[in-house]
Amino acid sequence: MKKFLALLLALVMVVSLGSFGTVAYADDEITLDVIICQYGPNTNEWFLGKGMDGSNFVEKFEAANPGIKLNLDVVSWNDVYTEVDTRIANNNAPDILNIDVFANYANEGLLLPVKDYCPDDLFADFFPSFIDQSIIDDTCWAVPDLASARALFYNVDILNEVGVEVPTTWAELQDVSQAIIDYYDGEIYPWGIDMTTDEGQAAFAYYTWGNGGGFVDANGDWAVNSPENVEAINFAISLVNDGYTNPNPATQTRYDLQDMFAAGKLAMVIAPNQLPTYVADKGGEINMATAGIPANEGKTGSSVGVMDRVMAFKDESAPDQEARNEAIGKFLEFFYRPENYVGWVSMEGFLPAVNSAVEALVEADPSFGAWLDVLGSCQFYPAAKAEWAQVRQGVTTVEQEALIGGDIQAGLDALQAEVAG
Amino acid sequence: MNTRLNRNKWEPYLWLLPSMLLIAVFVVFPILIVFKLSFSYISQGGVIGGFIGFQNYVDAVKLPAFKTVMLNTMWWVISVVGLSTLLGFIIAMVLNQKFRGRKIARSILVFPWATSLVIQASVWNYIIKYEYGNLNNVLLNLGIIQQAINWRSSYQIEFIWECAVGIFVTVPFVTFCVLSGLQSIDGSLYEAATMDGAGFWGKLRHVTLPMVRPSLTVSTVLNIIYVFNSFPIVYTMTKGAPAHKTDTMITYLYMLSFYERKKGPATALSVIGFLILCVCAGVYMIGVMRKEDEQ
Repeated sequence: MKKFLALLLALVMVVSLGSFGTVAYADDEITLDVIICQYGPNTNEWFLGKGMDGSNFVEKFEAANPGIKLNLDVVSWNDVYTEVDTRIANNNAPDILNIDVFANYANEGLLLPVKDYCPDDLFADFFPSFIDQSIIDDTCWAVPDLASARALFYNVDILNEVGVEVPTTWAELQDVSQAIIDYYDGEIYPWGIDMTTDEGQAAFAYYTWGNGGGFVDANGDWAVNSPENVEAINFAISLVNDGYTNPNPATQTRYDLQDMFAAGKLAMVIAPNQLPTYVADKGGEINMATAGIPANEGKTGSSVGVMDRVMAFKDESAPDQEARNEAIGKFLEFFYRPENYVGWVSMEGFLPAVNSAVEALVEADPSFGAWLDVLGSCQFYPAAKAEWAQVRQGVTTVEQEALIGGDIQAGLDALQAEVAG
Repeated sequence: MNTRLNRNKWEPYLWLLPSMLLIAVFVVFPILIVFKLSFSYISQGGVIGGFIGFQNYVDAVKLPAFKTVMLNTMWWVISVVGLSTLLGFIIAMVLNQKFRGRKIARSILVFPWATSLVIQASVWNYIIKYEYGNLNNVLLNLGIIQQAINWRSSYQIEFIWECAVGIFVTVPFVTFCVLSGLQSIDGSLYEAATMDGAGFWGKLRHVTLPMVRPSLTVSTVLNIIYVFNSFPIVYTMTKGAPAHKTDTMITYLYMLSFYERKKGPATALSVIGFLILCVCAGVYMIGVMRKEDEQ
């Protein structure tokens, strides 16, 4: 009997190996696979838990849209690229994806054009400058889900104590940094720099845009090795070498810097608009204010905007393409409804991507108005270009090489040759 | 009788079938797929194209960081496996002695091994942090140092820290392997050696080492494989920064694939790593077995 049971168990194991992974769906029902990135601790609760008035987005959507089911996963930013790429390689791309990059997917013919599924009213509601960032060859491939703007935050008390004004130029930044070092005998870092693998591209943007350079030239072609860029990165590295910054920019992340700022250990840092919320959550009581990112003498500084997107993948195997597109449209329409979207955006302290949410957000938090103005003048990363992933990583590598004495010009020349051909 | 004999013949295979199937599906099949992928074009988005010969291998070897990463991997494996084997052996010798609190000491030793590597690496990150690190706090409070020390002042030091954490988490495994070997040694062998006039080193060389060699072989081969393939420590502590100077092969190919989106060369690198590992582990195993046969 024992042997029989053991044999049975073995057979069950064998059969189960071949049978998992097959899920049956009712014929008259459409199930959309959705991947949402985890923006913070509340994301999961809002989409899948009890964070939306005691319910969640999936439950509310399915109740409002009978016949459409959501198979929604909230995936951390650390894992989302691995997850999506693996699914694409296995011909199992999600129907709807929330992520930052889109150009690779669009160029490889994996995405549906937005016009195929997005209702016209909703499309007209997006900020046009945001939509422009997702257009390749006159076709829009993704819509923005939210944005954040970055500006210079400074500790008012520290600057007042030292008796200096917030810097607006690079020369002033050096003078103010030296004054802070002298006054506090090096106990407080004047300036925060993050050149880590996740944020090196942001550092590149802060300094090159403030020197009339940038990732691309006026025609939109890659120009990472321009003289302005080389000068800008040299300046950023000189700040580190002169001892004006946190000591380990290659491994100290934006969150390390924000922690230092919240603890009063860092006087100035370029950070997203959520910094006050972050500092408050950490129990910090910092008297802070914002200013424009310092630029080189005679150049204009630019705010840096960061935007994430929602896109839909093609699925040739779907029996009814029209019904699928309609279901994707309904998902977007439900997500961007002011009663849902305002809660989503304000929950993590982000900035909205649609006009219809502005009024309610400004009403709830008047500081949003100022940030929306900043957002209007922001520059964005050239994420619509296919080589963006290489450039993003490439400029970070050049910065990190420069931190240990590498040649900036040679590094940027090699990157330019690689991406521009 | 014949039926019974036949049944005895195939029955073991039937019992092995589920595990063999699991190994085939989750180990052999993925390895074959990776070999196939390494000869295929893979787009940035992950779409698999046609056969391109050895192009991915050529691209991988030409990568600017390739040499640095290979050297790092070599130092990583040699230092972590070598030093943890040495330390583990010494600790096992100590724990094999009878002393008060031996059981507690053995239990404490399990902690670094039983904790997840990501947690270990994160905790060490906090310990050696310059600004608010525990190490600086303790040393400052004890008055040993007057100013906080930047424990991560260069990438070479960062890499040494990664190796140190690797050793810290690997030592318990070696210790327990060696300890199991030590406990199986018959006490009469030591008595005989003493009678023959052998001292501590003599007994260590002629009794202990030959007797624990099988345990050491197992722990060393497994450690070569685990340490070579270890991802969490390096990724959590530095993500290979600055500029891949602290990357090992495994973390580098991950960054290559999912950050730089060069999936073809990343796949080729993973095959190269697999082959290196097979050769290293194989050579070591053959060497040890030959030595045992000679003895």
